Formats: sequence, structure tokens, C-alpha cells
Amino acid sequence: MKSIIKQKEFSIFMIVVLLCVVLSFVSPVFLTFENFLDIIEGNVVMAILAVGMTLVIITGDIDVSVAAATTAVAVIIGNLFSFLPDSWISILILFLIAPVIGIIIGAINGLLVSKIKIPAIVVTLGTLNIINGLVLYLTNGQYLNSSNFPKPFLTFANFEFLGIPILVYLLTAVAILTWFILKHTLIGRSVLAIGGKSQSAVRVGINYNKVKLFVFAYMGFLAGIAAIAQTAYTKAVDPNGLLGVEMMVIAAVVLGGTNIQGGRGSIQGTLLGVLLLAIMQNGMILAHIDTFWQKVVTGAIIVIAVSYDQISYRRQQAKLAKIEVEA
Amino acid sequence: MSEYLLQMKNISKTFPGVKALDNVELEIKKGEVHALIGENGAGKSTLIKILAGVYTPDPGARFFFEGKEAEISKPLDATMKGISIIYQDLSLFPNLSVAENIYIGRDSHKKPWTKVKWNDIKKIANKALKELDMDIDASIPVEQLSIAQQQMVEIARALAFDSKLIVMDEPTSSLSAGEVEKLYNVIDKLKKQGISIIFISHKLKELFKVSDRFTVLRDGKFVGSYDAQDMTEPKLIQLMVGRNVTYEKNQATVEVGETIFKVNQLSKEGNFKDISFELRKGEVLGITGLVGSGRTELAQAIFGISTPDAGTIELYGKKLSIRNSAGAVKEGVAYIPEARQTQGLVLEQSVINNISLPIISKLKNKFRLTDRKQEVKLAEEYVKTLDIRPALPHLDAGNLSGGNQQKIVIAKWLSTKPKVIIFDEPTNGIDIGAKTEIHKLMRKLANEGIGVIMISSELPEILAVSDRILVMRHGRIAGELNVAEATQENIMHYALQGKSNGKAPTFVAESNQMSQGV
Repeated sequence: MKSIIKQKEFSIFMIVVLLCVVLSFVSPVFLTFENFLDIIEGNVVMAILAVGMTLVIITGDIDVSVAAATTAVAVIIGNLFSFLPDSWISILILFLIAPVIGIIIGAINGLLVSKIKIPAIVVTLGTLNIINGLVLYLTNGQYLNSSNFPKPFLTFANFEFLGIPILVYLLTAVAILTWFILKHTLIGRSVLAIGGKSQSAVRVGINYNKVKLFVFAYMGFLAGIAAIAQTAYTKAVDPNGLLGVEMMVIAAVVLGGTNIQGGRGSIQGTLLGVLLLAIMQNGMILAHIDTFWQKVVTGAIIVIAVSYDQISYRRQQAKLAKIEVEA
Repeated sequence: MSEYLLQMKNISKTFPGVKALDNVELEIKKGEVHALIGENGAGKSTLIKILAGVYTPDPGARFFFEGKEAEISKPLDATMKGISIIYQDLSLFPNLSVAENIYIGRDSHKKPWTKVKWNDIKKIANKALKELDMDIDASIPVEQLSIAQQQMVEIARALAFDSKLIVMDEPTSSLSAGEVEKLYNVIDKLKKQGISIIFISHKLKELFKVSDRFTVLRDGKFVGSYDAQDMTEPKLIQLMVGRNVTYEKNQATVEVGETIFKVNQLSKEGNFKDISFELRKGEVLGITGLVGSGRTELAQAIFGISTPDAGTIELYGKKLSIRNSAGAVKEGVAYIPEARQTQGLVLEQSVINNISLPIISKLKNKFRLTDRKQEVKLAEEYVKTLDIRPALPHLDAGNLSGGNQQKIVIAKWLSTKPKVIIFDEPTNGIDIGAKTEIHKLMRKLANEGIGVIMISSELPEILAVSDRILVMRHGRIAGELNVAEATQENIMHYALQGKSNGKAPTFVAESNQMSQGV
């Protein structure tokens, strides 16, 4: 029990609970099942991306091209829809094609980072702009509505089981898969090892380049899944719909206790981080706070979270450095 | 089958501009402890990194493992052959558990999706920890362990690997005397199991205690391999340096002048307590003690890097209130840190820029801009007086050897015209020739009236340079000795047992934290 309380995830959870209590006073609508489901469903895309981003940040890197990659995949599948038959096969094809395109984009990032050894922030800023430029060129910035979507896709998008929308199940699957990889597979442990100390990782025979390539490709894979979720949720493809979402994604991961310098982080924490950000935004909307103030608050919370993390880490290190002075 | 476990032949390694290894060979018998020795920069680390598969040797290199020609081109090749390397700076993962740190690397050859067997990991780790008599919780992250414990975890990893050959690079540098004893026992046990060990250390006494054979490297070249029976310390030193060098104990009787510097009852919670001493004109004050006895922490408090809780510091009778290092410099205190490359120098900048750095704001021309001419002149002066080689002040500091880099750091602080200089391990990682020069320089500064405090864990160095010696233990001054009455033995006595125990010092070989060799 003690170890649970000591964990970072627990303190984030407590903040979430506290926030919920406060918000339930602000608005009577807040503490309803419907509102909660809305919050979660509305943030499935961010959560899927944040799950992937957790791995990237654990290795000590960052990927700012995720939102752009998701949009790119969404635009491609949106255009693909008119060629797909009105049958369930279309869903299957979709779930094959979208992740593959995502993986290709992610692998390009990963190769540039691992083989050519360009800092990830530079690589992904580059791909972010390339993708955004191409998307605007191809779509003219125009919105694609659901008129040419195959019917089964719309059925899929509206599907609910036990009153819970399909997208929530999709997120659950993604989270469990990633948690399993991180906790119980060799590649997942290698991700943590590289983030802990890359020099040691190389010395014990871990293939550094392969692991880096993996985290970016996996990020791309989840961007592909997120593209399906985004299209299903909005029932449209908006080339500008996800502009700037990468910042929220990174914020959620950091809020969830993942160390921005790598080595520490968990899927559970990230999900709590997403929930925290989502509830905060929902609360501010319910409390009729202007959107620009929402941005200010979100930014401030990120800075505070990272500072807190750094300070407590340094305290811990300082404690270890102490010398036993004779009385 | 051959009696050799490993043979490395024709090993050369060229880095841009430097030939680090030139046709070196290394032969390790089964079940022996083989000491690999040489001065810093002799090529030991490079050779080990080639053995580990971290560096690729120049073409022509040949490896034989268990009598058969073998290839080692990546770390996994070495691991799979049963070669474990314990690097001096350790290869642990601070964020992972002790158990996982011990286990990691075993599966590196397997498919990435292999499921991790947590039960096996715990079992194997606990077994290895038990073999080492280590009583730590295998589930806590390594970052919560002390350095000594981390070192033992690293050894546990090598044990858990069923290694045939274990390389230990300065394994005792951060272990306490008791832990060193434990390590010796482990080494004995490993030997009996037929495991070979390559042992790298600068502590000659230790090497003679554990090793069966020696291989000596000098300036990247192979000097020879020798049986331990045929070897003596002076002979080994001569082979290492190519000349006969031992330090003379400081015999000089200095005219001690007025008190320059006085520390009174200085304390800092969790670092040191009730430290009082005086430094007089003309003398060199040596401060020694085991790693972790609070020496460096004391120096950093005097220099204002950390703030003491209580006590006073006086310079020429004037009480100083030093709040930060800039304040210390202003008052005339200089601190030459142990980590020369990271804390003392800007390696990517020229010798000139490094030397002028602390007083750059004073080197102004008539337009109030930095005067490059004055900077160059200043640097040229010091390059000449301290004999910095090569005498090319425009070179980047990183291109100079360790000894000359240290001279740059000294020049840099001399430019501030300090009244007191604290040297922290001034000859760490410097070869013997340059060490002697640094020693002379410290003496010369003391003669010129600058207060010189030297922190060192090398006892021969302490004895060679200091006039008075303070021995620290557990954050306190355990003893004070004049150089005339000091010996390595009585210093160690204070460092290990403190002053309460009046018995004659009985330990010599166990005193491993302080090097007794060169």
C-alpha cells in the first residue's frame, strides 16, 4: 500500500480527484456519467498519441510531427473512402492501410534520428512542416465531409457496447498493448534502458539504432490508429483539425510523470495525464472561461509539473550524496 | 586445447591524428588474474574497448578465443563469448531495478518481441547477490544505491552472466576497505571456477596482491607480459614509465610565515563538522582522507559552491562571507576542481580564451571592449612561465595532454591573482612526468607567498608535496601531522580508524581507497 501511495501515478490520480471535486461545485453537469464519457471520447485521439509519445519521451527524444502525421493519414484515408466498397471489408482495409502509412512516416523520422543522428526535435519539426505543406497542397485546406464515407464506417463510428463508444475500447486496446510491450517485452525494456543511460545500453549489447527506429515507427503506427479514431469521431476530415495538438500530447505525457529527459514514465501515468488535461479543459468550458485563458492555464501547469519533477529528483539525488558525519 | 582463453594479436587503433594502440598483444590464460597496467593514456582503455567490441581495431587484428580464431566486431560478440566488462564509470541503468540491471544484456541476441521472464530475472539476480553476500533489495532502482553498492551490482551482473572472462577496470576505486576484501574473496572464488580476470588498477599494492601475471603497456605500445613472481614494484614502475621514478618525501624545512587563511569550526549538515585549521605563508597544506570523507565538500564550501551552516573563514585576519564562487574569486580564493575537463576548462576553446576567462571583464581597451591583444599577451606569459606545451596558445584546450590541460587551469586561476588556491586532486589522470612538474609548481607558488591547499588521495603525493597534513574521516578532521612525522601508514590509520584508537596501525594491504603506488 505504501508503495502505491509513493508512486507518482498516485499523486496525479489524487490531483484528478481533487479537480473533480472542485468542478462538481462549479457545475452540476460535470459529475455525470454522460459528461465523463464525452470527455473521454473527445480525447481518445490525444490519448492514443500520448501513449505512443510516452515511449518516444522515455528514450529521451521527442516527436512534434505526430499531429501532422495523424492528419496526413486521415487525409489519405478520407480520399481512399470513395474507392472503398460499402462493405465490412472496408473497415478491415482501413485498419491495415492507416497504420502502415503511419509506420512509414514514423520510420522516416526514426531513420533520420538513429542513422543520421539528427536531434529528434529538428527531424520532426522538419517532417511536421513537410507534411503540413503537402496536406494543404493536396487538399487546398478543404474540409472533407462524410458524404462519400462507406456506410459500414459510419456504423462503426457510432457503435456502442454496454453504452460505451467503440473509440473508448480502441483506446483501451492501444493502452494495454503498449503497456504490455513496455513492461513485458525485450524491446520495451530496451526502450527504458536507453532512456536510463544510452551508453550502458550500447555496452550491454542493446541495438540503440533499432530501438530508436522502433519507438518512432510505433509512434507512427499509433498516429495511423489515431487517424481512424479522429475520422470516426468527427465523421469528417479537417486538414487543420489537429493543428497544435502535438503540444497537448507532449503536455499530457509530461503531466503523467514521464521524465522529459528520458528513463522514467508509464502508460498508466500518461492516461492520467490526458485525463487531467481533459478534465481541466472541460471544467474551464463549463465554468465559461475564455479559450485564451485555457491556454495560459494549460501552459502554466506544464511548466509547474516539469519543475516539480526536476526539483524532487534533485532532492533525491542530494540525499544520496550525503556523508555520514561522526557525531 | 590451448592453455590460453584469449589471445589478441596485432591490435592497432588509429584515431584521427593519434595512434592509440600500436601492434599490441594480450594473452590471458584460463583461470588467471591478469593485471593490465600502464600510465594514463597508455592505451589500456582502448584495448579493453576493442575487446568489448565497442571499438573496431585497425585491419590486421586477430582474436583467438579458446584456441579458435574469433571475431569481435560488436558488443554482442563479446557478450556471447562470455566476456564481461566492468567499466570504471559503470554501465548501469539508474532507472531500472537492481535485478533487471543484473540480468540485462542476457537476451540482447533474442528477438525484440521476446517476453521478459520476470521470475527468472529475480531468481538469477538474487543468486548473484547472495554469492556476493550483498543484502540489498533487488527490486529498488539502482539510482537509490551508493556508488559502492552500484559497483557490486555491476560485479553481480558479471557473475550472473556465467562469464568466462571478466574485465574489471579500477574496480576498487569507490569501494570501502570491507567491500574490497569481499571483492578479493569473489576474485578467488572466480579463479577456482576457472574464470579469467583482467584487472586494471593504479594501486600497485593491490595489483601484486591479486594478480598472477602482468601485461604492461606504454604510450600505446606493448612492453611485455610478466609472471608476478618475477616482478617487483620498482621494476614494474620502471616498465610503465620507461624510467625510474619514485617520489621523494618532502624534506624541505620551510620558513613558516604569518597566517594567511583560517577556518574556524566550519560545519555543514550532512557533509562535515567542526573543521578548523590554519594555513601559513610558505607552506603547502595537504588534506587527505578516503573518498567520501568530506574533503571535496569542504573545499567547495570554502569556495562558495555550497554554503556552510556554521563557522567562519578568515583571510589575512579579515572575515569572509562568501556566498558564491564569484564572491570567492573576488576575495582571492581560487579552486581548481577535480573534474578538470568538465569543471575546469572549456575544451572547445583556445588556450588563450581559457586563461583569460576569469578576468575577461578587466581586459578592456579604450573603447571598453575586450582587448584581444592583452588576452594573448596574458596567455603567452603563462604558457612561458608554466611551460605549457605545445606553446601554441591558439590551440583548443582539448587538444593538449592532461598535464598541460591542468597547467591551463592553474594559469587561469593565477590570472586572478589569488591569495589562496585549493587544488583538488591536481594530478588525477596525469602521467608521472607531468605530475612531478605540477608538484614543483605548487611548491613554487607556496614559496611566492600564495596559500596552497592540496586535496589528494594519493599518499605518496601528499607526502611529497605537503608540509602539514590534515586527515579527514567521516566529515571530521581525524588527525593532523607534520610531514616529518607522517608516513603512509599513520595517515591511513587516521583515515580508517580515527584518533580515538591509540593502537599502532596494523593495516597496510587493506587500505585500498588511497593509492599507495604511483
